[in-house]
Amino acid sequence: MGAGDLQVVAFTLQMAATATAAILVPGVAAAFFLAGYRGPGRGALETILSLPLVLPPTAVGLALLELLGRNRPVGAWLAAHGVEVVFTWKAVVLATAVMSFPLLVRSARTAFEEVDPRLVGLARTLGCGPAAAFFRVTMPLAWRGVLAGTVLAFSRALGEFGATIMVAGNIPGRTQTLALAIFHETQLGRDERAAGLAAVTVALAFAALWLTEWLVRRRSRTEGA
Amino acid sequence: MSGVVEIDVTLPLPRFALRVEATLPAGVTAVMGPSGAGKTSLLESVAGLRGATGRVAVGGEPLLDTARGVSLPPERRRVGYVPQDSGLFPHLSVLGNVRFGARADHGAVEAAIDTLEIRPLLDRRPLTLSGGERQRVALARALATRPRLLLLDEPLAALDVRLRERVLPWLLRVRDEWALPCVYVTHNVGEALAVASHLVVMREGRVEAAGEPRALLGAPALAAEAEAGIENLMPGHVVSHDDAGGITRVRTEAGLDVAVTLSAARPPGTPVTLAIRAEDVLVATGPVTGLSARNAYAGRLLAIDRTGVDVTLRCALDAGGAEMLARITPAAVASLGLRPGGPVWLAVKSHSIRLL
Repeated sequence: MGAGDLQVVAFTLQMAATATAAILVPGVAAAFFLAGYRGPGRGALETILSLPLVLPPTAVGLALLELLGRNRPVGAWLAAHGVEVVFTWKAVVLATAVMSFPLLVRSARTAFEEVDPRLVGLARTLGCGPAAAFFRVTMPLAWRGVLAGTVLAFSRALGEFGATIMVAGNIPGRTQTLALAIFHETQLGRDERAAGLAAVTVALAFAALWLTEWLVRRRSRTEGA
Repeated sequence: MSGVVEIDVTLPLPRFALRVEATLPAGVTAVMGPSGAGKTSLLESVAGLRGATGRVAVGGEPLLDTARGVSLPPERRRVGYVPQDSGLFPHLSVLGNVRFGARADHGAVEAAIDTLEIRPLLDRRPLTLSGGERQRVALARALATRPRLLLLDEPLAALDVRLRERVLPWLLRVRDEWALPCVYVTHNVGEALAVASHLVVMREGRVEAAGEPRALLGAPALAAEAEAGIENLMPGHVVSHDDAGGITRVRTEAGLDVAVTLSAARPPGTPVTLAIRAEDVLVATGPVTGLSARNAYAGRLLAIDRTGVDVTLRCALDAGGAEMLARITPAAVASLGLRPGGPVWLAVKSHSIRLL
């Protein structure tokens, strides 16, 4: 693997990690809100949050482009303040974050829904305010699902292609991630290099999922019966 | 005694509205009533876990007073709550659970651990505890927060009979050592008699009756709720223990002398209630001799009631005019030739009598 390949791998990991970190707090908050929300519009809200899962990623990319293009209101405002998003690494983070968000929310929401609400109520009678009850009871009981969702989101971010290529382009050394590089090399007929990069993505995804499994197993052994 | 806990709450429930007005004296108040009568909802309303309206005050201090815009959140009510299934936090050790609500208050934590004698369990995880141990830990966890009021939601219901009798003494100990006003939801007449000095009977979200337990337990409202099989409840006190003979002698208020299995933990003079199932009473038409049963009484048959497949006999005992119910089969009635007004002899094994 050459220096160029290493750069692509490092860049991809950096982008995926940044995107995952960016969605962690809002994703967990959204999941917690949805798990407890019983009011009107619940179905609509869940559908909208899950939409990126089923839409073609290129359609999501197009929507982002419409939002952030230099001659669009948001994009123009950002440009006026010196923030350039489209075709930069920021666009890579944004596209992967949007695509990964629903995976985190779904997984974390299920975990929160499985926490017995009566235990949270008991924590309240024992003197915990809502925030303390969240951090001392809800989160410790739901952390496995939240962690699983985070790794899932990170893995998805590693492989994001469609939305990224729409808003960030495929600029070697600037916005090219592993998924984009595989496509790029194949286009140029360098199948061997493409296969090498593909193998790296397999190794990364495997490592991430295996690490989670291991963490969860280890914890459940010390906690369990 | 003036009311220590004042409750006047309204809460809409799916099938009816909870509408409870009750003033509870110091000590333990038992709350009884059929399943779905709103007993748990009442406790949750007092604890602040349900958005009830109205007024709840403990010792004159309002926890909820909708009219004045007071509604303390649960964490500021200082109300200890022990649910039926104990509700221990599975991710914490026993000590972590007990300390959960009172991290800085070592005195209260230590006192709660000692009262419930759970020190050997402190490092264990809740999942590894027996049902009785869990309930003791849940009680300790609630006590460690120094609550002003204790709410117990059927704390013994999840336990089998044998375990119940082993946990009950801890409850009595909490009642006697911590002197807390306590609301105790139960389906079990024996438990209510054993722990409570006041009784509230609920039905469909309302208070159907309230007052002194022994007076209320005869009421028809409660007869239906009486635990199946404990038809004979007789208040009395311990007279003496016979260690060699393995029996404890009890005299009932009606003047009946009864021998029960040795219960040395209750010194002479201790008030107790005897519970005897009607089907555990043997019926004879002549004086009982040559039988192992320690308790035999002469009496007169008052009435024969058909109850389902069986027959319930209502008998008046010659000693002190106490009444006792016996349940036998119609075949036994026929072969003994029992007639109302005729003489009967009743016998009860010591082992068939529960001491409450």
